[in-house]
Amino acid sequence: MSNDQAVRTVPSGAPRRRGFSQHMNEISLFVAIVVLYVVFTTTANGFMSFNNQINILRDAATIGIAAWAATLIIISGEIDVSVGPMVAFISVALAYLLQWGVPTPLAFVLAIIIGAALGSIAGILRAYFDVPSFVGTLGLWSALRGTALFMTDALPVSIGRNDIVDMLDRPVLGVPPAAIIMLILFAVFAFVSRKTAFGRSVYAIGGNPQAAFLSGINVARIRVQLFAIAGAMAAVSGILLLSRLGSGNATAASGLEFDVIAAVVVGGTALSGGRGSMLGTLLGVLVITLIGNGLVLLGINPFFQQVVRGLIIVVAVLANIQAIKRGAARNKG
Amino acid sequence: MIQSANARQNDPVGGAIAALEGCTKRYPGVLALDNASFRVAPGEVRALLGKNGAGKSTLIRMLTGAEVPDSGTVSIDGVALSGSGSARAQEAFVRGVRVVYQELSLVPGMSIAENLFLGRWPRRAGILDYAGMEAEARDAMQRLGLDMPPSDPVAGLSPAERQLVEIARVLLGKPKLVILDEPTSSLAAAEAEKVMAAVKRIAADGIAVIYISHRMNEIRQIARSATVMRDGRIIDTVDVAGADTREIVRLMLGSEAAQAAAVETKARDKVVLDISGLALAPKLACVSFQLRQGEVLGIAGLLGAGRTELLQAIMGVRAYDSGTICVDGTDIRRPGYRAMLNRGFGYTPESRKEEGIVPLLGVDENTVATDFAAVSRRGILSARRIAEATRDVIARLHVKTAATDTPIGTLSGGNQQKVVIGRWVHAGSRVLLLDEPTRGVDVEAKAQIYAIIRQLAAEGRSVIFVSSEIEELPLVCDRVLVLREGRLMEEFKSPNIDQDAVMAACIAGH
Repeated sequence: MSNDQAVRTVPSGAPRRRGFSQHMNEISLFVAIVVLYVVFTTTANGFMSFNNQINILRDAATIGIAAWAATLIIISGEIDVSVGPMVAFISVALAYLLQWGVPTPLAFVLAIIIGAALGSIAGILRAYFDVPSFVGTLGLWSALRGTALFMTDALPVSIGRNDIVDMLDRPVLGVPPAAIIMLILFAVFAFVSRKTAFGRSVYAIGGNPQAAFLSGINVARIRVQLFAIAGAMAAVSGILLLSRLGSGNATAASGLEFDVIAAVVVGGTALSGGRGSMLGTLLGVLVITLIGNGLVLLGINPFFQQVVRGLIIVVAVLANIQAIKRGAARNKG
Repeated sequence: MIQSANARQNDPVGGAIAALEGCTKRYPGVLALDNASFRVAPGEVRALLGKNGAGKSTLIRMLTGAEVPDSGTVSIDGVALSGSGSARAQEAFVRGVRVVYQELSLVPGMSIAENLFLGRWPRRAGILDYAGMEAEARDAMQRLGLDMPPSDPVAGLSPAERQLVEIARVLLGKPKLVILDEPTSSLAAAEAEKVMAAVKRIAADGIAVIYISHRMNEIRQIARSATVMRDGRIIDTVDVAGADTREIVRLMLGSEAAQAAAVETKARDKVVLDISGLALAPKLACVSFQLRQGEVLGIAGLLGAGRTELLQAIMGVRAYDSGTICVDGTDIRRPGYRAMLNRGFGYTPESRKEEGIVPLLGVDENTVATDFAAVSRRGILSARRIAEATRDVIARLHVKTAATDTPIGTLSGGNQQKVVIGRWVHAGSRVLLLDEPTRGVDVEAKAQIYAIIRQLAAEGRSVIFVSSEIEELPLVCDRVLVLREGRLMEEFKSPNIDQDAVMAACIAGH
């Protein structure tokens, strides 16, 4: 977690050693990404090809957009496991809206509102009824997937020809719009997390909810807002999914929530709350995406890929925690 | 007259179950125990008195083997403890020393019997022997006068009953010396009776009891003699029956306590807060008082007297049963916490670490969290304004920090506390409710906090200052109210805030 540079102006007696150790996490992730690139470039055919790099970006967008919101949720000490079914449900709902002839821009707005409303259910349960967010979002996870499957009989909901939807899947100067949207949203979330009262309150709530409350922060409202935002971001992913597949799909985005949580955690955000950064999550998303892409190109048995992925995630977090511990010990001594 | 009980102390070691001989313990900057000799006999209930930091807990840690004295010896059951670290503590444990601490260590969801045997449940052929466990538990509880099925969950017990379960657990180990650290501090008076009855039974079984408490009426009921500590020394051991409360207070506070520079009162006439008939069972029965603008009002009282509950009720953090709270002459009905903040109130909690600070965040964010709008421009936080606001608070409250964004968790307790107060200065609060603001704070920082509070009052803010350290009240307060048995029992006005009298009012002697 880093503060604003300009704030550091008070005369200092103690030597400052925070700069480096504070970014230890980001630096070690960056090194990990370089290592992954070197390994896959030398071993996997076509890894460095332009098309594959674009694929990586597109895959990263699927995880990333949801991961930005998930980072804030996890920093606040909560968890959201409903992402995958939420994305699938929204893609189905949007497909129906378009089938019914709702104007496309309006349908997009409605999809995002539906996502925010669904997300805020978990938020309200957490904030006002003390239902743990894991339970609330687990309920959503099951109910949304079930509803989407029930409505569609697990069949894709085709939307026919739609220029605006098609446009969302047409690369701009070779870059897929999903990647651009992901990066814009990254900038927005990074800004919000560091430069707004909302963002800083999220850190305060995760660091010590009681102290945050006694400081006058509206803890309940912020918790609801966080889950509403997560729902809205899942809706954005749902819109992009629809444009990529050309149909609403109740079975899509299966297991996405685990990729999202893995990316946030690999990115150095503490599951216990209060600590984490958007930049870390960006790097975490890249690590997760690169691993997935590289293993496919290497032609490893898809079942065994899951084993390798699991190992890499655990090892990455383990190494990260050790690095932070060593940094803390150095700072003390 | 105080009749010294030294005669008992001069018994040969053979008569004592635990004895300290000339023990001295020095921590960096503090002489925690100064050539202390102490002795307690089987079947005796010994009260241990002394204000915070007098050395009571160091003495206890000597007896439990948790600390090794720099010089002197500690013997339990006639044998001197040797070694250090966990081996020493284990030795004291094996010889029968047990402590029941204030913080209860029960698992609420488990039954009384399971809690009594926590972690060493009796087994038969690898399966938990519930029948045996409950039979033994029933025995242990009946010894304490606790009559309920051992299969009942602890969650349903009253605080006093939980305390008794805790004591019963200790008794299962066949102890020779049981140390009770303020066992009744969280209990209402009627509840405390149960604990005291249990203590009498323990002593009747020939077990020595050291009873740390400041409630004189309890001490008079169960203890024959009381040892008073001050500044790491054992001042005297007196016969409780023959000693009057004022004299015990004098032993606790010492003679230097007499006169402290009184505050110059500048309180204005305007009443900002008017509390009448506030009740919150079981802690507060009927509390009424007024707070004026520019006034520092001290609330004195023992641990568990209901001081924190009073502040929390006013702030709307805790619901109360009845009574009215008027702010600026208007009855506010049920206060809500955020509404109280909007009325210009600020509150600093007693437990700074748990409720006061966000340790990972910087001094700056811990300060401005009370009012983000003041450091924002068009909804966006301004790094410059945050730095300015923080530097302002740092300067006004003399916070020692390397930088404005140093994580507050790395600061000393005193500096953390200054920031916690300072955040309400940032928010522009005009009424501050400070719960034990000097707890766990070093001497220099304490003096600074006193000065800060006087400064805040001089600026026209009103302060309620809750403290269990009697000697600081005359230094800070225009007026002191003593909270005891759920009521405000006595009032002292500067310059006539006499420490001895305040302490005597707190511990309720006759």
